[in-house]
Amino acid sequence: MTPQGDSVQRPLVLEAQGISKHYGGIVALDDVDLTLHEGEVLAVVGDNGAGKSTLIKALTGAIPKTAGVVKFDGVETQIDTPTDAKAAGIETVYQDLALVNEISITKNVFLGREILRDDWLGRWFGVLDFKKMDGEIRDLFSKLDVRIADIYREAQAFSGGQRQAVALSKTVMFGKRVAILDEPTAALGVRESKMAMDLVRSLKDHGLSVIMITHNMQHVLNYCDRVMVLRLGKLVAVCDVKDVDGDALVGLITGATDAGATA
Amino acid sequence: MSQADSQTAVSSPGSSAGALDVLKHNFMQIWQVLAALALIYGFFFLMSEPFRSFDTLLSIFGQASILAILACGTTIVLISGGLDLSVGSIFAVVGVTVGIFMAEWGLPPVLAVGLGLGMGAALGALNGTIQVLTKVPAFIVTLGGLTAYKGLAEILASGRDLSRFPESFKFLGTGNTVPMLIMFAVALLTGLFLTKTRLGSRAFAIGGNEEVARLSGVPVAKSRIYYYMLGGLLAGLAAIVEVAKLNFAMPARGQSYELYAIAAVVIGGTSLFGGRGGVGKTLLGMFIMQTIIVGLSYMGVGTSYQRIAIGAIIIVAVYWDVWRRSTR
Repeated sequence: MTPQGDSVQRPLVLEAQGISKHYGGIVALDDVDLTLHEGEVLAVVGDNGAGKSTLIKALTGAIPKTAGVVKFDGVETQIDTPTDAKAAGIETVYQDLALVNEISITKNVFLGREILRDDWLGRWFGVLDFKKMDGEIRDLFSKLDVRIADIYREAQAFSGGQRQAVALSKTVMFGKRVAILDEPTAALGVRESKMAMDLVRSLKDHGLSVIMITHNMQHVLNYCDRVMVLRLGKLVAVCDVKDVDGDALVGLITGATDAGATA
Repeated sequence: MSQADSQTAVSSPGSSAGALDVLKHNFMQIWQVLAALALIYGFFFLMSEPFRSFDTLLSIFGQASILAILACGTTIVLISGGLDLSVGSIFAVVGVTVGIFMAEWGLPPVLAVGLGLGMGAALGALNGTIQVLTKVPAFIVTLGGLTAYKGLAEILASGRDLSRFPESFKFLGTGNTVPMLIMFAVALLTGLFLTKTRLGSRAFAIGGNEEVARLSGVPVAKSRIYYYMLGGLLAGLAAIVEVAKLNFAMPARGQSYELYAIAAVVIGGTSLFGGRGGVGKTLLGMFIMQTIIVGLSYMGVGTSYQRIAIGAIIIVAVYWDVWRRSTR
């Protein structure tokens, strides 16, 4: 089982206050607060259209937010682009937007952060250091027990589980503080889901705090420390996983139960 | 093995994959196109006596070279998921400008060539910048460029006799050999750019999935402008070689070159939809096209019929691309 209970006492890594996102007159996200503690896995649940994806996209600068403040280690941080988020140490795996099908695993892992040769070719012409990148990927994959036989093959050639494993490995390689995952098991079978979730759990061991969107209540109960519930763009509840069960969560998601938000 | 058109092996002479594996993978990617070229060449070899000479082979390379230089730029742009219909008109502007620099201003050839290349790059970059800023589709922006740059070339050239250039300049267009050597050098550099450099390798990612590239922190807009700039630069270089070869410049040159270039790129197996392809394929596509043109001429088939043949082949090539995408 996941270690529980002590997460509230740990220091805050990420704190978001009053995050809102309006599309014209439509309110996709209304004044949502979020806290993430050191080394915890925070689940974000909610029905379709509840604003889960909007929340993480606004947090990571993938879309501009209408209002809200993000604090990192207690310091207010401006995150307006995906690059800002990466610079702050936040690594995100977007659903369906994790890898480019047409390029190799190597190139996917280092996309946007390619390593250049440490000589005049690298400095003047931006020539890539394939040897170094390949080496780092092999180290990473063996450390995380990810089995990808041919890292030069294009991403399209791999199964959903393998692709997700590559995307999650990327968060270990580059995410210094926070990994944000949008439905990491959405397209996966049972065995692959378990593999992916074990990998998610191991992110903690690599010093990452995790925010994870999911529809799978079993994953929330088995792998997460706290859970926040969104409904129609509003935050309806935040609770420790040990204080809830699957039925209670479903009640909160659908609106059958109306608990006051507990932080 | 259906991974016939991935660019991965070209780009990764990796530590574990042996050189032989890489070679094999590369061959698997292009063998269909190579086979098509061999078949077409063999067909004309059997059908036409004069086609069999070595000079014919050399002239196929020679005649392909100017378009092939331009098509290397088109390859970059298409891989990145872009499209530039204006390169034929950029070709005209640069040809005329370089002509004016030398015939009227008396600039030394080196300077004229340098300024001409700069002009091509600037016009290409302008296309890219307008697209990135306005979000008007590439097709429309560069269709506008096609017309506007053509007009610019005509204005610049009107009332001028742009011919009789210095010997040192004409060297660039000597026979079939020099243009051919320039073509191979350009293809080699373009290939290295696409497979070995950060900016070049990102073209595949941007063409494959622009949104993933953006979310991964790739400066998509800036990169695109560079790709169009390189497309313009190479169109300019092609124009310079042609002006040197013909020893005159006029604004009518370059007409439809963008379409022939796109045709060659697609026949070679680079995807019209971005993300996949390579410059070696473009050369093969260009040789296929040129072999058909030369072969049909030797068999006494007129230019109009040649165009119909090329048109049919373009459709077959794109159909093949679409079919491959749907079956993987």
